[in-house]
Amino acid sequence: MSGRFAPRSLRAASGRAPVVALLLGAAFFAGLPLYWLVTGAFKRSEELGKLPPVWFPGQPTLNAFGEAARLLPLGSAFFNSFLIAGVSTVAVVATSVAAGWAFAIYRFKGRDQLFLALVATMFVPPIATLVPLYWIVQTAGLQDSLVGVLLPQLANAFGIFLIRQFARGVPTELLDAARVDGASEWRILVQIGVPLLRPAIATLAMFAFVFYWNSYLWPLVILQSPGNATMVLVVNQLLSYTTAVKYANVVFAGTLLAIIPNLVLFMLVRRTYQDAGFSSAVKG
Amino acid sequence: MGRGGRSAGIAPLVFIAPAALLILATILTPIVLSFWISLHQWSLLTPFTDMQWVGLENYITIFHDPSFLRALTNTVVFAGAVLIIGIPLALGMAVLIHQGRIVGRSIVLTLLFSTYVIPTVAVALIWGYLLSPRGGPINELLKMIGLPPQPWLGSPRTALWSLVLLTVWQYLGYFTTILIAGLIQIPTDLYEAASLDGAGAIRRLRSITVPLLKRSLVFAIAICLINGLGVFDAVNVLTRGGPSDSTKVVTFDAMQTAFDFGAAGRAAAMTMVLLVCVMIAVGGLLLFSRDMEDTA
Repeated sequence: MSGRFAPRSLRAASGRAPVVALLLGAAFFAGLPLYWLVTGAFKRSEELGKLPPVWFPGQPTLNAFGEAARLLPLGSAFFNSFLIAGVSTVAVVATSVAAGWAFAIYRFKGRDQLFLALVATMFVPPIATLVPLYWIVQTAGLQDSLVGVLLPQLANAFGIFLIRQFARGVPTELLDAARVDGASEWRILVQIGVPLLRPAIATLAMFAFVFYWNSYLWPLVILQSPGNATMVLVVNQLLSYTTAVKYANVVFAGTLLAIIPNLVLFMLVRRTYQDAGFSSAVKG
Repeated sequence: MGRGGRSAGIAPLVFIAPAALLILATILTPIVLSFWISLHQWSLLTPFTDMQWVGLENYITIFHDPSFLRALTNTVVFAGAVLIIGIPLALGMAVLIHQGRIVGRSIVLTLLFSTYVIPTVAVALIWGYLLSPRGGPINELLKMIGLPPQPWLGSPRTALWSLVLLTVWQYLGYFTTILIAGLIQIPTDLYEAASLDGAGAIRRLRSITVPLLKRSLVFAIAICLINGLGVFDAVNVLTRGGPSDSTKVVTFDAMQTAFDFGAAGRAAAMTMVLLVCVMIAVGGLLLFSRDMEDTA
């Protein structure tokens, strides 16, 4: 693989400069807002309203984090977000692995039609189901509860699609051999399927966690009491502080705290998803 | 084999049932209910049985409402702009990162993708500061290269484009990653053969990369369209539809109509219109990509 451009390496070397420039430009475009966020969280209040703006904080301080912890219900918000994203992720992975595996491995009547019908729900904008879902949750007495938020987040069409694409590559001889040995279909899934699907499962888990951690519209509609707010809803409340310049560092600090779990998770599974997860999703 | 074969009979159904029933209960049934609600007058506060049948009146009302038509136009313009700017940019990035064997390209890719894991609410807050008309870093940078400062979110002329900008920023790495995953699967000897035949870089991109990348491209475009047409988070945080309706989008309009104005029937009609827009866009995309296959 590494020698693929060897015959053109001379020409490539001369064309390298614009490529580097473009990549640097892209890195700058991606990096500037992140830089502004991180440095902003460590600025002192005096540095915030200055014109022209302060690009490098003179004496980095943690004051803004302390202030954020004082003003915002960070503990309960982290707990709620972890609970919602965690339970949703476990449920989505479980339901998607079972269904995606079945769609990939077995033949049965109406399989392709059922698969299409389920995967098509990937294209439904969330607002199209919101009013009835809100009514259902309200009627069930689950408004302003984490259970109410979780209810529609236990299965996901993208998850089924991803697992099925990956599972189609599993050699059937392996499964037939296990059947000859008398293994049940359930044991085949758990003992052969799940280990083979590990890269896809890691990718799906990362995407599901990030997706449900970040979700805004649905929790915004369902959750009202401050004790039930998620991290994203807390960040949303920070909006009221953006009108006062002196609170900018607090806004940045709170925002930074809200995105750290996702960044950590992403770094952990980065290799897996870059190598295996996505390529399987777009493969035929 | 006998036992395994027999149990495989119901095994697939048992495996699929949890996901299928959940999706039926939380997506497919609500869509039908949404359509049913859109044919009624209902405030969301009274019991479901108190809904008043009005037929297509809600649809007639919204299509005569300049504010909704504005929201619909804004939504389509927003989604189209994110698509037309974001996807070619991602394609360019993907080809550059994939082909250029450069130290640190994995850092560039990681940095690009990291923006995707940030909640849109946070993205909106950060960009709200960056785009601040007075002394915001973006206007400072413009000043450095000799360009006039822009009002960004503050003017009806530029507000929607500011939202396009931060959305492209958020999704660029995600789309690039999808496209790189597709590029990896193109056999490299194809490029070498084409180069030997004298095909230039543009020609190679058009004749090899784009057709063979079709599956990833269609996937990226579909995701782009769905997210674009369903845009809500950044609007709700940064502009709330303003200034003067210039960033009002369908999801935001429907939310206001249902929860602030208590007109759930009218809101449901709006969401049905949006659903049809998404179906047309994605259906058109799939038809178009099949056509490409036939002529190729």
